[in-house]
Amino acid sequence: MANKILIVAKREYLERVRSRAFVIMTLLVPALMAGVILVPTYMATRGGVSASFRHIRILDATGAGLGDRVSTVLAADTTSKDTTSGPFVVAVAPGQLAAAESAAVRDVMKPKSLTGYLVLDDSTLAGKRARYAGRNASSVTEMEKLESAVKQSVMMVRLEHEGVNKQTIDELAKSKLELSSERLTEKGRGGSGPSGLFAGVIIGLMLLMAIIVHGQNVMRGVLEEKTSRVAEVVISSIKPESLLAGKVLGVGGVGLTQIVAWIGIGGYLVTFFMPLLTKNAGAGGAMSAGAAPTAMAFAGISPGVLGISIAYFLLGFVFYATLFAAAGSMVNSEQEAQQAVMPVMLLLMSGWIFVSPVLINPNSTLAVVLSWLPWSSPIIMPIRMGLAAVSPLSVIGSLAVGFVGSCAAVWLAARIYRVGMLMYGKKPSFAELAKWIRYA
Amino acid sequence: MSDLAIDIRNVVKRYEEHVAVRDLSLQVPRGSVYGLLGPNGAGKTTTIRMILDIILPDEGTITLFGQPNTSVAVLDQLGYLPEERGLYKKMQVRRVLTFLAELKGLKPTEAARRIDQWLDRFGLITPEKDWGEAKVDELSRGMQQKVQFISTLLHDPELVILDEPFSGLDPINAQALKDAVLELKQRGKTVIFSTHVMDNAERMCDSVCIIANGRKVLDGNLAEVKREAGTRNVALALNGGAHNGVGEILRDTRLVSKLDDTNNFFELELAPAADAQVLLRRLVDAGASIERFELVQPSLHQIFLQRVGASGVETGMSGHG
Repeated sequence: MANKILIVAKREYLERVRSRAFVIMTLLVPALMAGVILVPTYMATRGGVSASFRHIRILDATGAGLGDRVSTVLAADTTSKDTTSGPFVVAVAPGQLAAAESAAVRDVMKPKSLTGYLVLDDSTLAGKRARYAGRNASSVTEMEKLESAVKQSVMMVRLEHEGVNKQTIDELAKSKLELSSERLTEKGRGGSGPSGLFAGVIIGLMLLMAIIVHGQNVMRGVLEEKTSRVAEVVISSIKPESLLAGKVLGVGGVGLTQIVAWIGIGGYLVTFFMPLLTKNAGAGGAMSAGAAPTAMAFAGISPGVLGISIAYFLLGFVFYATLFAAAGSMVNSEQEAQQAVMPVMLLLMSGWIFVSPVLINPNSTLAVVLSWLPWSSPIIMPIRMGLAAVSPLSVIGSLAVGFVGSCAAVWLAARIYRVGMLMYGKKPSFAELAKWIRYA
Repeated sequence: MSDLAIDIRNVVKRYEEHVAVRDLSLQVPRGSVYGLLGPNGAGKTTTIRMILDIILPDEGTITLFGQPNTSVAVLDQLGYLPEERGLYKKMQVRRVLTFLAELKGLKPTEAARRIDQWLDRFGLITPEKDWGEAKVDELSRGMQQKVQFISTLLHDPELVILDEPFSGLDPINAQALKDAVLELKQRGKTVIFSTHVMDNAERMCDSVCIIANGRKVLDGNLAEVKREAGTRNVALALNGGAHNGVGEILRDTRLVSKLDDTNNFFELELAPAADAQVLLRRLVDAGASIERFELVQPSLHQIFLQRVGASGVETGMSGHG
């Protein structure tokens, strides 16, 4: 009989993997996910210094070389070797500042000319204020960048005034600091702050999607066999339980293939494109604060978490796919099926709706309970593991509870399926379902 | 091995609202063509599903070739064509056939060889097109039925069960099916088919079993069944129909107990004490123009009507197949 289960599984697997829908889904989802991660990074680097600040004019009325400093700091963020462009520094006498400004305004208003102009004067040097006007003035990240460049430059000029060695100042200017954050909980170290959050959400979402998509596939497969009446021939050759097992196994294999492909392709895309993008932004830490954690989402998923996530996927898939199959066997049409799967979907969503509280506090009682219940653990536990340290014992325990839960689901579903597959006519009531379960 | 292909003993199957099969026992000899006859809802399909171990009987035992019908080896020797037919619509014909054959324990390479032979035999491989490469739903209904029939016979089963095989078949496919059944019999295979069309059964079956309301009404060798029914039947053909006093004579219950009137042709059953000669004389005296007057064995159709009766059909209608 085991051989026949494999024959069924093989058919399910090959027929689905050959289908156009599978190929499209497998390629499209990682492309989308990579896009979600890469585009903000790309935007951040594009919106950085390199492009916009290359065409600004710095009106320096300080007479202390502050303009040159700012220009150097901004230029350090660019990758272009093009030295002919770059922030243009114009030294202006304080008295002529107004005239220089109106000239700059005219230049900015000409098409394809200056992006904007920066005014530095004595109050800037005093650490009070600087003014900028330009087309990109509404970009928060660019203005932050400009502000910090001016602050840094002011500090350096004043240090120079205080007689600090020029070489020391230049070295200071080059120092780039990145803050790496790590989450600490009462249970110890776990994950790396924001990246763990993203990793958790991505894993959870992927598991949820895979369970819904492939669970529904099992349901549709069952329904197809029933409505096309091919079921009767197949069941005359193989026990319904084995047919169900083969089907779940085959479709589960498809799901696993897809998840591995998603991770593989998505990981490849991100690791391939990310250096290109960040290099583009120069060595100057142009990766903005928002892009860094998303980029690290993939890196933040350790192989251990990945392996356990796959184990949870398999458990969750078996649990839900058999229930979806039972729902499919009870009905006679796709419309009826949508109603019949509602309870199963609600069960699945009952875990997912608590995802944000779990994300906020992965060690709350709610999160712990959800990571033990067999119908929510496949989604919640991998998320928790990405966020906080979960003791191996709880993982093993929750997997064991999940296994028992899956066995119970299979037992229940097989009984409904056995009777349902050969029963045509109206949808059974709950009382009738209970009879089926007892009768089989 | 037993010389009974099927041995059903005291099988009972109850459903929620009714009893589908009551205390059914029947024996099907190996190598025979066996007709399972009965009105709609008599319990034919339920019986067949129990033979195939698709559903379990509540009581009784079923053995196939001397082994319990739960044995995988025995089930692999069965070919089943259900009444409601269907295949995986989006699947390629060859792949469907290979899959179903593999489920019966056939090796894929052997299956591929036989599939080509069968497709060729049923005209599904033509110089222009190899329909084996097409998807099932690209085939016409007739072609799909051929494919389904191939799937029933691909693993060369010892016992073939055909549930209402002629329903929905055009005359050409019906003839191909009859030829195939005959060939199976010549090769020593056992064929069971269920039908409510008596003409087909009378022409093809060696033995029959009539069931109604889940009960066996009669079974045995077809020739014996007909012999036992006796030669109390008269086949009568009249030129010009039953006019004048002829109709009255035929309705005389002292002479005729049952009359099947098809205008020019009559099949009638003599009343228990009646003499055929008396009937003939009275018809001649009444001036009937007789073209044929023959003492015959009743047709299976007559036996069926006589044994099952109109009541059996009516009450049987409400149940499952």
